[in-house]
Amino acid sequence: MSAALIWPKLVKRERPSLTITILAPLLALVAATLLNLLLYLIMGKDPVAVFHAMILEPFISFPSFSEVLLKTGPLLLIAEGLAIGYRAKVFNIGAEGQFIIGAIFASALPVWYPMATGQWIWPTMLVAGAIGGAMWAGITAFWRVRLRANEILVSLMLSLVAAQVLNYLLLGPWKDPNGFNFPQSVMFQYDAMVPLIIPGTRVNASLLIALALALVAYVFMQKSFTGYKLEVGGLAPRAAGYAGFSEGRAIWLSLLIGGFAAGLAGAAEVAGPIGQLQRSISTGYGYAAIIVAYFGGLHPIGILFSSVVMAAIYIGGDNALVSADLPIAAVRVFQGSLLLAYLMATTFVRYQLVFLRPVSGVAP
Amino acid sequence: MTRGITRRNLIKSAALAGVATTVGSRFAFAAEPLGIALVVPSPIGDVGWGHALKAALDPVKAAYGDAVKITVLENIAEGPDADRIMNKTVADGNKFLIAGSFGYQNGAMQIARRNPDVSVLHASGYMVAPNFSPFAARYYQGTYLMGMAAAALSKTGKLGSVSAFAIPELITSINAFTLGAQAVNPAIEVSVVWVNSWFDPAKEQEAAKALIAQGCDVIFSNAQDTPSVISLCEEAGVYAFNLNSSMKSYAPKTYLGCVATDWSPYFKAQVDAHLTGKFKGASAFLGVADKVVQTVDWNPAIPAETMKKISDIEAKIAAGSFSPFTGPITKADGSQGVAAGATMDDAAIVAMDWHVKGVTSPLPK
Repeated sequence: MSAALIWPKLVKRERPSLTITILAPLLALVAATLLNLLLYLIMGKDPVAVFHAMILEPFISFPSFSEVLLKTGPLLLIAEGLAIGYRAKVFNIGAEGQFIIGAIFASALPVWYPMATGQWIWPTMLVAGAIGGAMWAGITAFWRVRLRANEILVSLMLSLVAAQVLNYLLLGPWKDPNGFNFPQSVMFQYDAMVPLIIPGTRVNASLLIALALALVAYVFMQKSFTGYKLEVGGLAPRAAGYAGFSEGRAIWLSLLIGGFAAGLAGAAEVAGPIGQLQRSISTGYGYAAIIVAYFGGLHPIGILFSSVVMAAIYIGGDNALVSADLPIAAVRVFQGSLLLAYLMATTFVRYQLVFLRPVSGVAP
Repeated sequence: MTRGITRRNLIKSAALAGVATTVGSRFAFAAEPLGIALVVPSPIGDVGWGHALKAALDPVKAAYGDAVKITVLENIAEGPDADRIMNKTVADGNKFLIAGSFGYQNGAMQIARRNPDVSVLHASGYMVAPNFSPFAARYYQGTYLMGMAAAALSKTGKLGSVSAFAIPELITSINAFTLGAQAVNPAIEVSVVWVNSWFDPAKEQEAAKALIAQGCDVIFSNAQDTPSVISLCEEAGVYAFNLNSSMKSYAPKTYLGCVATDWSPYFKAQVDAHLTGKFKGASAFLGVADKVVQTVDWNPAIPAETMKKISDIEAKIAAGSFSPFTGPITKADGSQGVAAGATMDDAAIVAMDWHVKGVTSPLPK
């Protein structure tokens, strides 16, 4: 072996690096941005136009920024809920299905009572949606606790079931009688819509609810004993067992919280920018929120930032689609490369690169 | 063109000038071309609905050159994202929006209301506003002719259709196909599978396989944007046809023909109207007589005698002396659809929500 061959090696750190923990998402963001701009250059797109439309415009143009806020709401809600479960090592991958069921539960009210009036309607819908989402997640919890069925598979498969439930309702009992047989419900009445908070935009009060619940999540995860028990249960299940923390309870709690948040987000979506129940109520919020949760380091405050970043990527991507002639798939590539870069960066929280010289007599 | 230099635009340009210094000359147009944006729900391939719409803008571009700027946005899912993207096209200065799917209706209508200076064309819808026109093709005129050919070639007497959504536009296509087939062979039966998607090649092929397994030997690929069904039928050796643009290259042997659409005369006329300030929202229901619906690439295996009958009927449709929906027509449930001698009017055709007798699959309820 020649001495010129020095291979870097991953060596476990004595303790996780706090610097890297905070730097990792930023590094990932920079790496993903550069990588994708390079990709656009190879595709023959004008990188300045893409950069402007994708990165700057979501923040400097108010109409664009208001759309970022609109998109932040559901991502923030779902990701906060999921993160609680993920920290307890309960992997709810089915937020998409819980989102859909939440939207369905919320829609029941305006679909059945399209003439009802009163400002009680939209809050009731949000509550109904949250309960619906929690119930749907409860199915996963039941099978996990009772039969030890893998919650990843059960929750993921239940998302497909939820999509079919939605299809059934829209093609059958809930189809708008005046909608030319198209699979969508009636347009909701005024009182079934969450009030707008910024005039001239589509941003509604559900964003405030999401922010308030993020604060609740912070208190729950970082300050409360129940949150602590959940996390210990995830990190050291046997130790948690000796301490008398029930694993079953942790699973139920994790999934119910995740389902509650996703269901609420689904309700806010149909009672917000959509205004009716239709097939394409979610553009993959339930899955995008998984990226958001991890990208935010599974920390309630981190998720607050990561949800804005993710929303900005969506809006920026749409802008680039319209203004810079970028295909829609490019946005998904951006999201994917962001998660990939982040997962790679997080390796260095627990490991460090060491350039080892193969010196004889010294054990590596 | 004076339309480009209204007071509002001047103020906007002045505001943008500040941005322009930092961004470059992207906003510094002297004479602004008319921005035309086309939004479609599925990927624009070499064939299909989106392709037909995009291709129809080529003559517009050829006629106006640099006076128009065309932006095509493909693969835009119906829903709140589509609303934002359409809004963004208008915010970017596009004044002519073609919303290429039924599901864009509510969002596109809101844009039309908020932006009276923007003209909107919307595919397959029913809402009309002063600056908002729905447009649809009389596919049924073409599918009636295809039905005649299908019945002449079918050995099993069973025809099938893989269909996207059970909306009136597609229901009328299936009904006319059935009626055309029954005009040749009264005992013919038609089965339908609804895939509930504009774009799901795997599901469409599954549906076609199921129909072939049931004995259907001519398949109508109803509103698919890919050759999924057509190419599968070539492999299976059954005849197939589709709408919008020819897919003959995917089924050289068993391609029955195509009910093609050419939107260019319509788009050109509407852009003309917009530029001269004469755009008026109105429902456009265009067919063989308007040269929007055309039948092409007929299979040579169709007997000459049938082909003769088909071109006779086609000429009558173009002349307005024949409608596929002339009574007596019986509904699938046995009740009367159209009385003997009566002809359905356009209002009834665009709202059709029942199948004719001979269609064996129930409508999704």
